[in-house]
Amino acid sequence: MENIESTGWGRTLRSNSLEFQPRSLEELQDFVGTHESPRGVIAHGLRRSYGDSSLNIGGVSVDAAFLSDLTFQQGTGMVTAGAGVSIGTLEKASLARGLFPPVVPGTGLVSIGGAIAADIHGKSHHITGSFSSCVKRIHLLYADGEIRDLFPEGPTANHFWATVGGLGLTGMILEADLQLIEMKQASVVVEETRVNNLDEMLTLLSASDKGFQHTVAWIDLSGDFRGRGVVGKGNYSTQTSAVEKSSPDKSKDGISLPFPNIAGISFINKYTVRAFNEMWFRKPLAKGISSIDSFMHPLDRIQNWNRIYGRRGFLQYQFVVPEGNEDFLAHVLATMKDLGAVSFLGVLKRFGEGSPAPLSFPKPGWTLALDIPPQLGNLEQALNSLDSQLCARDGRIYLVKDARLKPEFVPLMYPRLEEWRTIRNNMDPRGMWQSDQSRRLKLC
Amino acid sequence: MLNAFHSPQSVALIGATSEIGQSILKALPQDNLENCFIVARDPKRGAKALAEILPDRTKLTKVGFHAEKTQSHQGIVDQLFADGDLDIAIIAIGVLGNNPDLNAAANALEVMNVNYVASAHLMLLIAERMKLQGHGQIEIISSFAQTRPRVDNFVYGSSKAGLDFMARGLNDQLEGTGVSICILRPGFVRTRMTKFLPEAPFTVNSDAVGKLAVKLLKDGQPIGYAPSILKWLALIFTLLPKNVFRKISKRK
Ligand SMILES: Cc1cc2nc3c(=O)[nH]c(=O)nc-3n(C[C@H](O)[C@H](O)[C@H](O)COP(=O)(O)OP(=O)(O)OC[C@H]3O[C@@H](n4cnc5c(N)ncnc54)[C@H](O)[C@@H]3O)c2cc1C
Repeated sequence: MENIESTGWGRTLRSNSLEFQPRSLEELQDFVGTHESPRGVIAHGLRRSYGDSSLNIGGVSVDAAFLSDLTFQQGTGMVTAGAGVSIGTLEKASLARGLFPPVVPGTGLVSIGGAIAADIHGKSHHITGSFSSCVKRIHLLYADGEIRDLFPEGPTANHFWATVGGLGLTGMILEADLQLIEMKQASVVVEETRVNNLDEMLTLLSASDKGFQHTVAWIDLSGDFRGRGVVGKGNYSTQTSAVEKSSPDKSKDGISLPFPNIAGISFINKYTVRAFNEMWFRKPLAKGISSIDSFMHPLDRIQNWNRIYGRRGFLQYQFVVPEGNEDFLAHVLATMKDLGAVSFLGVLKRFGEGSPAPLSFPKPGWTLALDIPPQLGNLEQALNSLDSQLCARDGRIYLVKDARLKPEFVPLMYPRLEEWRTIRNNMDPRGMWQSDQSRRLKLC
Repeated sequence: MLNAFHSPQSVALIGATSEIGQSILKALPQDNLENCFIVARDPKRGAKALAEILPDRTKLTKVGFHAEKTQSHQGIVDQLFADGDLDIAIIAIGVLGNNPDLNAAANALEVMNVNYVASAHLMLLIAERMKLQGHGQIEIISSFAQTRPRVDNFVYGSSKAGLDFMARGLNDQLEGTGVSICILRPGFVRTRMTKFLPEAPFTVNSDAVGKLAVKLLKDGQPIGYAPSILKWLALIFTLLPKNVFRKISKRK
């Protein structure tokens, strides 16, 4: 095991830990069952969580990459996927069999373990719910070194749902059975619409949720912050001809953003972001058939885009607020404008029903995600104030994106935290699964 | 744990009645601060001052101690880590001595024991604990006086020089552990401790020192002077021929 420094995707926090890359399941089981250290162990996947969810300073972090098997069960649409398999890999293998995961995130570079541990959502949330809706079994390594199968119903259901959205704190996910959907074409029929302000955006998103399997809006967080942007809608293509083929290797070519990254210096500022956003707003709107890959994971074509923010990294602030709180969205935009917090990644979506997992993030309402560099004056206080207003409005922060929430807000945002804690403590009485985030937010 | 803004959640101020120490806490980002350990001979007095500086949500834990009772140090340090990780420890204990002759033998023992023995011992103990948690910063208050022995206060200067020396060595040893030491070298600071001394050039108040001390922590700089210009004066002092230095360093 080697002591290495790791960071989350946002690169704001650095963490020294012993990196364990097991060669076999037996080796991992032996290690976990006999490990004694006050700093414990956490599993990690592809480290696409933004903050400290997958970090364990002074402790051990276990790479799930070796859990890379994919086994399709003939004729059922079920796949058994190793926790280290990426969603992108699963998508490609599934498409070759006329199948597709019903929920995929904005990047294909998320592991199955990370997808379950964060109960991730995609553009289809208003119809499909979150990732756990397709998880039919979790094969979990417990702190005592034992491996157990967990199911969404029956006697193991409470352990199953505590593990979904459980941020790796109930055990290490080894593999999962996933129910895929049938997909004859690797393409999506896309329609984009430009909107001039927040009201138009919300109205169009709500209306589009009825006719489209996928909806999401890009919101311009620069200039006058009035909420202009582009609403994207899509349905899986059913046509059998004239389909643009998915080109899975696009990500390897890599394209670059108009922001250079020289020696860790950030080129993100009011002017560059505004110019980029202006260009994005004015870009020709997509209409027609698009490859599933570029529709689902537009950013994956840009390599290491997280580095354009320079040495200090960046934060992603993602929250959900129930419908009826549209004024809060406008308030967030106004706050960002006051702070001078420009962002080229603002994403807005309407969520459908939540999942039964106590720590799952999505619930009905509006979710807004925005990337912000941390060095803006007063940003910490401003976000704390937004958090406290969120609590008053029954909203919450997405923990897997977080690197700054105050611990006292967690039980207010996640009222079932105590219930989860009880189950977790029962699953791991020694408190072996720990992360920097679990310590910072006093989750366990 | 630090958050993305590098704002600490838990800090300890050892020598909590020290004005410089309090100024450092005043200048620290406080939005994320949950716990503050107030370690002092008279922790009540420290707590009273800090309660005015820190937000209401910060839990103040009072820990009484005698710096010179070195056997008690381990127990004190254990308390600082009992509730979880400690992000920053500020070691601000220090004395000048009460004797008008600062270099008198009657002064020397206390000055050496507090400024060097106790401070350095606590620094080592805290560094050992921080190494186990894999992160943390210790800030010590050295002094401009450690630059070169001055006729008027070489006893004090030597105690700070010893601490400074050890901190530099320890910091090098800690490389790669996630733990680091910040050495603050203030010049003449207007405080209770120095009020009976004539002011020297570049005198600053403790709030200015606090701000510089926090900048050091935030930037992860190993050494800093307060005010910053003293860095150049230190260089000049080191280069001056001995007889010239002796003359200018005598206080009237
Ligand atoms: C560009 C980008 C776009 C994104 N888009 C979306 C989106 O649209 N929707 C969405 O919901 N999220 C999105 N995310 C967030 C991402 O989906 C989550 O952070 C996800 O958890 C990352 O998975 P990972 O494999 O990188 O996990 P890591 O970041 O390595 O770990 C994340 C958490 O999962 C736990 N974990 C990982 N593997 C295991 C395992 N085998 N067993 C137990 N616990 C484990 C870790 O302990 C940690 O708590 C996006 C992230 C990026 C960078």
